[in-house]
Amino acid sequence: MYLVQDFVAQHGKSLGLELVAGQGGLFRRIKKPEVHRPGLSLTGYLQGYVSSRILVIGRQEIEYLRELDFSLQRQRLEAIFTPATPAVIIARGCRIPKELYGFCDRMKLPLFRAGSNATNLLSRITFLLLEEFCPSVTLHGTLVEVFGVGLLIQGESSVGKSEAALGLIERGHRLISDDVVRVKKKEGSYLVGAGPELTRHLMEIRGIGIINVAHLYGAVCVRPDKGLDIVVKLEEWDEQHFYDRVGLDEKFIDVLGVSVPYHVLPVKPGRDVVLLLETIALNHRLKDMGYNSAKEFNLKLLDALARRQKKRVVREART
Amino acid sequence: MKLVHKVKVKNALGLHTRPAAAIVKLLQLRKSSVQFTYKDETINARSIMSILMLAAKRNSLITVTVEGEDAELTMSNIVRAFDEEFGEK
Repeated sequence: MYLVQDFVAQHGKSLGLELVAGQGGLFRRIKKPEVHRPGLSLTGYLQGYVSSRILVIGRQEIEYLRELDFSLQRQRLEAIFTPATPAVIIARGCRIPKELYGFCDRMKLPLFRAGSNATNLLSRITFLLLEEFCPSVTLHGTLVEVFGVGLLIQGESSVGKSEAALGLIERGHRLISDDVVRVKKKEGSYLVGAGPELTRHLMEIRGIGIINVAHLYGAVCVRPDKGLDIVVKLEEWDEQHFYDRVGLDEKFIDVLGVSVPYHVLPVKPGRDVVLLLETIALNHRLKDMGYNSAKEFNLKLLDALARRQKKRVVREART
Repeated sequence: MKLVHKVKVKNALGLHTRPAAAIVKLLQLRKSSVQFTYKDETINARSIMSILMLAAKRNSLITVTVEGEDAELTMSNIVRAFDEEFGEK
């Protein structure tokens, strides 16, 4: 549940919002990531009017309201300021008609004043709300950035996720979050992972305890968020299981409806997991650049086989 | 077997580092998978960082989901640990 007071606490300062009336309505719920400038609705045309949007009132609307007589003004405002309206923002620091104060206080509808103009507010608030309302999921795993690739290390507890991440950090890669990763789907197409505020850049290493990576290794070794490009699952080596030996078939895992390349990496004493994770990340970059080692080799092999076949046919034709 | 039960954080300081460590420690002996749900957030209770992330204060209700062969024993252990305020009484 996202309330007006949450929005103000997060973004009030950067948007320059100043609460001028209707304080009792700060617990109103924001249900839609939409902002509306009620130009047409103020004239009384309410066909298709969606009441659950935040309203931004600009200079033109204020001027228009001033021209109306008192009863009509009240009637128009009552029509668009509904119990579902989360908040009203007056742009450009306009002088607010007196009636509006009392009206918002009675309705317990938060009324804000902001310094910037209406267009600017519309775009900024829409962006912030979309960010807040985008689908998200909390995943168990450690997110690191390796050679610029966002790599999520998953696996059972005690398989060595944190240790692998620590190894990567020690080699100059970056930690985003250990153990808990909040993944958001942005603009409906790509994933971004971040750590929860409270445990950001902290790691729990068995036998040592909780460490702060940002303090231990410096600011260069951490990042607040990163796109999720690959998921690697670490698992105990199972003799019965057949692990990928050539890499021709690429596996994907679904995260919030986006398919992400997925690798299963068996772990056993003597396998340098850090090196393997670096290799996976590099190979992913290479694939992104259009070069797939396994496929490229397979093509070369097929070509060589075809040539040999041809030679043999020619030789047989001669004899 | 799957068990779901609500428990209340009773100790004065809430779920801070020591209680989190106590939960992880008691789960180490158990085989079932255990999840805590608090404020729309579901986490793996075997991870200290995840429990700490919840920042559950005193009197908050946590939904515990236990699934596995020793679910009953695991659940009773968890409920007892919460009831005994993780030895902080």
